[in-house]
Amino acid sequence: MDFLKRFAKRLGFTLLTILAMSILIFFLVEIMPGDVAQTVLGQSATEESVAALRDRMGLDDPLHQRYLRWAGGFIRGDLGESLYMRGVQINTIFWRKVGHSVVLAFTALLFYVPLSILFGVFAGVKEGKAPDAIISFIGLATMALPEFVSGIILITVFAVGLEILPIASIIPIGENLWQNLDILVLPALSITFVMFGYVSRMQRSSMVSVMKADYIRAAILKGMPRKYVIFRHALKNALLPTITIIGMNMGWLFGGLIVVETLFGFPGLGSLTMSAIKTRDIPLIEACVLFITFIFVFATFITDMLYAFLNPRIRYKRGDV
Amino acid sequence: MKKSIMLCAVFLLAATMVFAGGAQETEEKMTIRVAEQVPNLITPGVWDGQAFSLNGSIYDYLIEMDAHTGELVPSLATEWSSPEGKVWTIKLRKGVKFHDGSDFTSADVKYTLERTQDPDLGHLKAQDFENLDKIETPDDHTVVITLKEAAPTFNFIFTDYNMAILSSDYDYASKGESAPMGTGPFKLEKLVPKESALLVKNSEYWAEGLPKAEELRIYFVPDIDSSVSLLEAGQVDIVPQISPIIKKRLESMDGFKVVSPYQESRFIALADDREPFSDNRVRLAFKYTMDPEILAKACQGTLGETIFYNETPIVNALAQYKEIPFRGRDIDKAKELLAEAGYPDGLKVDFFYASDHPYGSDIAQTLKELSAPAGIELNLKGFPRDIYLSQHWMNGPALLTGWGVRVDPSMLLMLAYHSEGPWNESHIDNPRVDELIDKIRGEVDPEVRQTYYDELQQIFHEEGTVINLQVPYLVGVSDAVSDYRQPLTMLPQLEYTTIK
Amino acid sequence: MNTYLLQLKRSPRAIAGLTILLLWIIAALIGPSLLPYTYTGMDMNNQMVGPGEAGHLLGTDALGRDVFSRIIYGSRSILTIALLTSLLSSIAGIIIGFTAGYFGGIVDTIFLRIMDILMAIPPLVLAMVVLGILGNSTIVGLTIIVSITYTPATARVARGALLTCKSSEYVDAARIRGESHLYIMFVEILPNTIGPVIVEITARFAYSIMMIASLGFLGVGLQPPTPDWGMMVIENKSLIRAAPWTVLYPSLAIASLVIAISLFSDFVSKVMINED
Repeated sequence: MDFLKRFAKRLGFTLLTILAMSILIFFLVEIMPGDVAQTVLGQSATEESVAALRDRMGLDDPLHQRYLRWAGGFIRGDLGESLYMRGVQINTIFWRKVGHSVVLAFTALLFYVPLSILFGVFAGVKEGKAPDAIISFIGLATMALPEFVSGIILITVFAVGLEILPIASIIPIGENLWQNLDILVLPALSITFVMFGYVSRMQRSSMVSVMKADYIRAAILKGMPRKYVIFRHALKNALLPTITIIGMNMGWLFGGLIVVETLFGFPGLGSLTMSAIKTRDIPLIEACVLFITFIFVFATFITDMLYAFLNPRIRYKRGDV
Repeated sequence: MKKSIMLCAVFLLAATMVFAGGAQETEEKMTIRVAEQVPNLITPGVWDGQAFSLNGSIYDYLIEMDAHTGELVPSLATEWSSPEGKVWTIKLRKGVKFHDGSDFTSADVKYTLERTQDPDLGHLKAQDFENLDKIETPDDHTVVITLKEAAPTFNFIFTDYNMAILSSDYDYASKGESAPMGTGPFKLEKLVPKESALLVKNSEYWAEGLPKAEELRIYFVPDIDSSVSLLEAGQVDIVPQISPIIKKRLESMDGFKVVSPYQESRFIALADDREPFSDNRVRLAFKYTMDPEILAKACQGTLGETIFYNETPIVNALAQYKEIPFRGRDIDKAKELLAEAGYPDGLKVDFFYASDHPYGSDIAQTLKELSAPAGIELNLKGFPRDIYLSQHWMNGPALLTGWGVRVDPSMLLMLAYHSEGPWNESHIDNPRVDELIDKIRGEVDPEVRQTYYDELQQIFHEEGTVINLQVPYLVGVSDAVSDYRQPLTMLPQLEYTTIK
Repeated sequence: MNTYLLQLKRSPRAIAGLTILLLWIIAALIGPSLLPYTYTGMDMNNQMVGPGEAGHLLGTDALGRDVFSRIIYGSRSILTIALLTSLLSSIAGIIIGFTAGYFGGIVDTIFLRIMDILMAIPPLVLAMVVLGILGNSTIVGLTIIVSITYTPATARVARGALLTCKSSEYVDAARIRGESHLYIMFVEILPNTIGPVIVEITARFAYSIMMIASLGFLGVGLQPPTPDWGMMVIENKSLIRAAPWTVLYPSLAIASLVIAISLFSDFVSKVMINED
């Protein structure tokens, strides 16, 4: 019962956040300097053509009216018309790229989650000994590399040096992502590096605290096999904070996507955002940023709920949101 | 549990190796693949319309340019003449069809030309065609253009990349960006905006034996490095507009060559309408700090071979060019001039440029280094090209801009060096210069015209507002490609290109 | 203080981190005056030479500029901006977080919700959008924008820290004495929450460096010829085969600085939070 109440409350707040974000993004982007119509028409445009375009784009309408028009369209599923491609609906290019990014994010998750949990547990169990020191240091080092740095190192080693993976992640015309899965590997690995650091460290430290807990030590003293204790009891509890971290880091993952996709030329949401910003395509920027925010907020929401569900203490207690 | 995690890891590694196989090409048709920069709007005439590989392939122009000799050759126009430059009679090619099957007639030419005057469009050639008095179409294959004032070299404008011939029946306003259509050697089969374009051979093309290739694939890649990586990996064959550093990189590898189909200019404009460059002494002082050899090296080229320096907007490849020797670098003289002009302790000035355009950043930083010893402190302000062109160009005391060469230099002079020119980036307002330009435009006798050009260039040397660094336009090409042609119009003529 | 120093001595990783950090700080302060080359000097006879050649310790780039000098000069801007950013976001975060936690009730709820909303956009995306639309950055602009993106996170930590102290005895005592709110917040509570706050500041420092480097990579870093490490990487990316040192050394510089700060921050966190 409590859980449902919590769920509803959180969901409500999540939706409110998204609404507030949409207002914030819209205003932020629209108040930026630079006359949009002028940018579209270029320096040689006459005063009249700029004014005519402003009129056509509805740029001189009051701000709140423009917001409502935009938001209303969004809810209906109409992401609007791209500024730079008159007559082209954003919808046609947007969703494909989002799909690509989802696959990329998923691949990165597939790589780093098992690896970091595995190594984090290992380091935690062997606390203070050599494997712990090595793994901790590797985690720290990879965490310290911004994605583009690890990306460049990966390119140098695998693409330029060994030549077993493509340097740039382009999909040939007429083909789709599934025929070119090798373009996913290097970008996903770049993201994995950074995430590995965070998650393995978190996993390690939570493992360490759990191992010190009374009931674990009691179980070991009672004579249960160590491995059994670790996997059947300790791991479950040690995983909880890790889930939180993974969820929280979804935001960072999406920020990282922009860098990684730009570096590799991967045709996803990140590189679409970059090219939208570069061409100052306002509707496209708004669509991209809002979507990224949406994913992030939802990921946080789901993580929260997952954590609450899995953590018996919260599940069965009346708690503050 | 641990075992299953181990198994997962092994599986992942195995999967990676499998996927490293790479895509396979099993086609046998001759396909040429080009990687271009992501364009803004692609409809010709609208800003910026610079999807050159795409537009050069799906559209035709009235007159084209021979990529080797620079001469004008008939394309959709078979003949053109004008007794005194005021009334132009143009004969059009018969039997040409648009990709949608409709016939090409004089009505389409009329439509294309009148479109330049559409106030809503902001057509880039609007000013050039203001001189249009009327257009008559006595029959389907003849166009008679009457100008308000005589312009003996008016025909050159039909080679401009903005003047692609459009169909009067087609709705370019709503389909121009998603399904454009023309009479060109290739038909657009599929366009993924901002991503890629698939073009196929126009089997009804009017030119015998062209195009040679059957398919053209154009990728729009935002990052030039990615484009070059694609070239290196054999996934594309041609990459236009590469930087000199990339040229070095490709030249050190087997299987690639770099061609420079033409030269471009980089104009360093010193604004005449505001401090400090409104004073010619300051302009001269700046010019005295120049070192063309170093500038050439900064562009990864050699002065006199691939890079040229002069102080007039007319490039040395043109017949109208007059060689005026460089004054030589003299820091003391520069300081003297500055002191005379009221800047004994040097001065600080903002310098605007497009940071992502080839050579831009390198030239800007070199200029800063070169002018520093004389006390001129350039405050570099680089912006992405879009923002530079829409917000800062024409608006700063000192600018660096890339300019394509115009085969008829009077077109460029009108645009940028006449006090009323729409693209007068240096805001020059010199009555004698204006007079000379007007005279050049109306003069029929080429020898008399040349005397005006000579005088003009001398004036530019002594009190001009521009430094012209000629740099090669570079294209990276795989060795399998033959006959890549790209004349000064900037439009590649991919109909001639073949690939092994 | 002495206990801290003692613990420091016992942690080789913290010492390593601190040493590297100090080396960079020294390099930033006096390095430029010791160098034979300026960061813009173009040695045109030695474009793209390898490390150790022609008197260039780490080689030169395509414009003949000494890579080592540019890295040393670049340490100034990156350290300055990162330091300013972490201080700014921490101060702003403390003020906001303390106010929210202290007054509680509706003030707290409002602040909390606003902070949550602001945290909904990934910081890099927000910074990139703002700077990307503006076109480029100045030191001031970069500092302000990065600080803004990090303030909400800091505010949350500060608020959390304040809440743990709010109901302690000395706070009650101060209230009874009639001290003002400001006094209680900053004279009584702040010193007792200094632990998590300092950890926050050091963590922010590391994140700022990564963010600034990434923004440089995305093309909205500082103007050339300022040797912004991230921009050095992107400028020279084309040269990765021909002149890898132009990309490798700035990358290593970034990595070393972030690792050093992270090691030190780890240590601070262990020591100051006193958690078991």
